Amino acid sequence: MRFNEKEMVSLSRQPSEMAAELGMRGPKKGDVVKKRLVKLVVNFLFYFRTDEEEPIGALLLEQCRVEREDTQVFSIVFLDEAERKYLFECNSEEQCGEWVDSIIKASYEFMRKNLIFYRTEIHRLTGKDPLEQYGISDETRFQVNNGLQLMPRDTSSL
Amino acid sequence: MKLHEKLLTHYLSCTSPVDKEGYLCKKKERNATYQRRWFVLKANLLFYQERPADRHLLGVIVLEGCAVRRSESGVQFAFSLVFEGPGLKTYRFAAGDGQTQESWVKALLSASHCYLSLLVRDLGRQYEEAKQQRGLGESCHGSFIKQTTTNFFFPVQGPTAEVREGRSFSAGTVLHAPSIPNRVVPKKSPKLWPRRNAHVTPLNGPAPLYGEWPLVGFDPLEDFKKLHDHYGQEVKKAREEWLRSHRAEEAHIDGDLIDLG
Repeated sequence: MRFNEKEMVSLSRQPSEMAAELGMRGPKKGDVVKKRLVKLVVNFLFYFRTDEEEPIGALLLEQCRVEREDTQVFSIVFLDEAERKYLFECNSEEQCGEWVDSIIKASYEFMRKNLIFYRTEIHRLTGKDPLEQYGISDETRFQVNNGLQLMPRDTSSL
Repeated sequence: MKLHEKLLTHYLSCTSPVDKEGYLCKKKERNATYQRRWFVLKANLLFYQERPADRHLLGVIVLEGCAVRRSESGVQFAFSLVFEGPGLKTYRFAAGDGQTQESWVKALLSASHCYLSLLVRDLGRQYEEAKQQRGLGESCHGSFIKQTTTNFFFPVQGPTAEVREGRSFSAGTVLHAPSIPNRVVPKKSPKLWPRRNAHVTPLNGPAPLYGEWPLVGFDPLEDFKKLHDHYGQEVKKAREEWLRSHRAEEAHIDGDLIDLG
């Protein structure tokens, strides 16, 4: 499958608050822990060999489960397959917590749900649709019943 | 660089809805010919294949750091995705008619993660303001709400989202903006939310029910005065009962300590 590689590499070089050297272990049996520069940019987790300009790879952070495995270790499971589990060793308990938090919140789907929640609540509290001012009220991606079950009473005018 | 393809194809085929799909002509990079392809837009990813029924995906374009332009060139109903930076591509498309062109341009303008991030921040701020205006910020129920929302959502500081004509936000724009805090200061919530929702991005299962979001289904007494009156009635009742049972013992009863009206 083709993809815009150069543009992705460029994206991976953008400044990010969540960028650190972590111990990373792949999902396959026999994979060992390797020191990697792990960087969170938008909803992708890039990982580099230390001091290399181009990332080794990029993991899409959608439909995945992030969990704390230990005080300093977190895991990401993809495709709901326990075998596709990546482990990340952090340098402190606090750092581990920050990563788990950040990865969850980086998911596009997570953000979309938040947006829909705010949109609904603002409408309920003020009677106004906050997306109207941006001219995006009709965009499919922001629709109130987009993946979220709602009680009918508040959404008739949305 | 390895893009773990299976993760993308899995995301495409999972139950979360597609944001837009349809036929478009895509210009080949080498020569000037256009090829008709079936495009599927989901989140900040634009997938393409030969036909809708095809299992095999030809490719994907990650929509971060690009501007959406309506083309002035000789091609009718054309538009392009322009990635900013040295050596970066421009993808050119042509739609079948003006309506389709407009619809795609609009959808692509609001597709990036950066755009959504700014929008969420802005709406979060509007939400806090709307709550304050309803006086919920000061009531005893309000503080409960404040703590749980801080736990769950993004912090509400940050610049207001601006919608610019013809451009989606480039990754560079957002990430260079001065000190947008990305972290939530952990606060202790008075209530523990069900573990299912606490730290897990939902997989293929249904989204958490609306009622499980903080605040929803919760009908607070909006006015502190109402709350005061409500509890005041209880106190009044309790006091009357106490007075009745102690009438024999007390010769004088002083004036009300609290005037409940």
